[in-house]
Amino acid sequence: MAAGPPTAVLALRGIRVPGRERPRVEDVDLSLAPGERVALLGASGAGKSTLLAVANGLLAPAAGTVLWEGRPPARSRRGRRLQQARIGTLWQDLRLIEELTVQQNLNAARLARWGWPKALLNLLLPLETEACAAALRAMDLDPALLDQPVTALSGGQRQRVAMARLLRQEATLLLADEPLASLDPRLASELLALLLAQAKAPRALLLSLHRPDLLAGFDRAVALKGGRVVFDGPVDQLDEARLADLYGGAPP
Amino acid sequence: MLLPALVPVPLAVLLPGLTHGGGWDLIGSFAAAAVTPSLDPLVLGSLVRGLGVTAGMALLGWAASLVLGLLLGVASSRTVWRTLTGTALPASLIRRLLAIPRSIHELIWGLLLLQLVGLQPAVAVLAIALPFGALVARVLSDLLDALSTASLEALRASGAPAPAALLTALGPALLPGVLSYGGYRLECALRSATLLGVFGLGGLGTDLKLSLQSLEFHELWSGLWLLLAVMLALEGSVSLLRRRWLAPGRFVLARRGVGERSREMLLATAALLPLCALVGHRLGVDPSALLAWQPLPGLGQGDWATTLALPWPRLVGGTLLLTVLAATLAVGLAPLLLLLVAPRAWARRGLQLVWALARLWPPPLSALLLLFVLQPGVVTAALALGFHNLGVLGRLLLESTDDADPAAEEALACGGSGPRLALLYGRFSGLARPYLAYGAYRADVILRESVVVGLAGATGLGSQLLESLSSFAWDQLLALVAAYAVLTLLGEDLSDRARRRWLAVA
Repeated sequence: MAAGPPTAVLALRGIRVPGRERPRVEDVDLSLAPGERVALLGASGAGKSTLLAVANGLLAPAAGTVLWEGRPPARSRRGRRLQQARIGTLWQDLRLIEELTVQQNLNAARLARWGWPKALLNLLLPLETEACAAALRAMDLDPALLDQPVTALSGGQRQRVAMARLLRQEATLLLADEPLASLDPRLASELLALLLAQAKAPRALLLSLHRPDLLAGFDRAVALKGGRVVFDGPVDQLDEARLADLYGGAPP
Repeated sequence: MLLPALVPVPLAVLLPGLTHGGGWDLIGSFAAAAVTPSLDPLVLGSLVRGLGVTAGMALLGWAASLVLGLLLGVASSRTVWRTLTGTALPASLIRRLLAIPRSIHELIWGLLLLQLVGLQPAVAVLAIALPFGALVARVLSDLLDALSTASLEALRASGAPAPAALLTALGPALLPGVLSYGGYRLECALRSATLLGVFGLGGLGTDLKLSLQSLEFHELWSGLWLLLAVMLALEGSVSLLRRRWLAPGRFVLARRGVGERSREMLLATAALLPLCALVGHRLGVDPSALLAWQPLPGLGQGDWATTLALPWPRLVGGTLLLTVLAATLAVGLAPLLLLLVAPRAWARRGLQLVWALARLWPPPLSALLLLFVLQPGVVTAALALGFHNLGVLGRLLLESTDDADPAAEEALACGGSGPRLALLYGRFSGLARPYLAYGAYRADVILRESVVVGLAGATGLGSQLLESLSSFAWDQLLALVAAYAVLTLLGEDLSDRARRRWLAVA
């Protein structure tokens, strides 16, 4: 880990999010350097989704600081929007706009920079076709799919379109909440390989995961238990005993 | 679902008591004229001109109501307000305000405006646009707020500004609903424009009423067949456009370019503008003339004692009885008739034709016709109103029956059930709840509509309202309109609850 906090793509310090019975996340520090690919581990309810929601700005923590590329959340609306534009989220349900074509969906990632007149135009005309085609090619998809409605795609194609949308967004921080949960093993490892390949500097990737067998390509793993970080280090240090403890073993 | 069909039984008992001697020969010659409409070029020419005026008023009223409804619908959507400002409070407020213009029937609007600004083409257009606009707004905001906000949230999280995110995430999802409902409103506007004509606002309705009153049944039928032709052509073209634009993307859009469908829709909308301008010019619609209000006769010298002395319980009771009778007639008879004709395809076609006629045939004309043989009163009015709504509900039932999964019916038929029982158990059983839920909604439309059969006499608020209007009793009129609005809003609330209950368990 070469980069310190000022240049980190994401830096979380002392994050606390209260919950009904106990804090959903308590005193969490997490930092992502450019080019770094980090897997977020933990059993259901350990706080992974909450931490990701804090990381992408959907949830403001009760305590602690969030820095994106060294800067706290901007005060102005426009500044905040441009900050959000640098954060790309791969949603578990993908959240493609079902009524639109692949190209319109890819261009929807540009809205932070476009505003509504061009948003309207995007519904009427094929805009920035070359950039959209490049994003598809980067995800091993045929650019001929651009004029297809997303409803006509297979499950795997839809996943790739959602990932291509992150490229169109030109996000530096890539976040994904269990994106592989509902996929068959072969497709899951293919998509993970594509995602890992895209996460080169200046980008960084934080991905929550249920399957330790897919950890190989990651630089680092961060494990949560009961809302607290119980492990933060290279993936090869994560042995069987630690994993057993994470997923239902006795508390440390 | 068939329970409401029992209502014809007491009616059948009551009816012989309500008939009065003469008039059956008139009904006979009316029915006979259906197959021998007048083909006199002079008659036809005048009818076509009348139809042109009616269709023009309908088009303009419809277009204005869509513009109004789109703007107000977006303004009363909770999702839109929440995305733009973080609170949905203004949406609820605007929604409540819109309930008022919606609860007043276009006929009342028309007659009120007629008194205010005098007879001019813009009156009918505005009378249609105001309540329809408020209706479209409600349906639209309901549609908007029912859409999933997942992709909207995703766009917002990627930094998209609120207007662009709303447009991209919800706009395309809203389109099918807007197109379907908008097309349906155009047919409603044509019916309303004909109805307004019956009450003297010009167009084909006026011709039809005059023909009926002078017992020129052959001319009457020429007008009706013309109207039916226009209505069917309209229904056909609306469903054609709907299929073209809304068919599942997998089958149709796959071979078309990005945004082509949207461009086509935009072009069609743009083509409507010069068309509306042309129609407005031909009809002599002058919006500025709407600003020249006539002095109101007798306003300000309200006689509230007389207003209070109106037999309110009887008026409200009569209106409610009329609504319940007409609603149960329509809701109950539609499935019953469909079951009766089920085994024969030609009978089904015949029923479809009768229903189409029932839809476009203005209820006050049915009431006038019924008065040839029946005494004035609630039952006569209910029959007229029930017949009209039977046409509306019947078509809906037929369409949803055709769309329903045929598997259960086929299985029953293979098991040896008769075609009627197979239809009843196989398809109607699944449709019962949504159908009844729609029936509940229809009941509050009927409550609003009960004013139009006021001329069948002694029918509650409606007949009193027409009477007060013709005697320029503004104070009474105001109180009656308010009473109508309150009843409609209560009815709306009641039918909303019933609908939620019926749909929730389904």
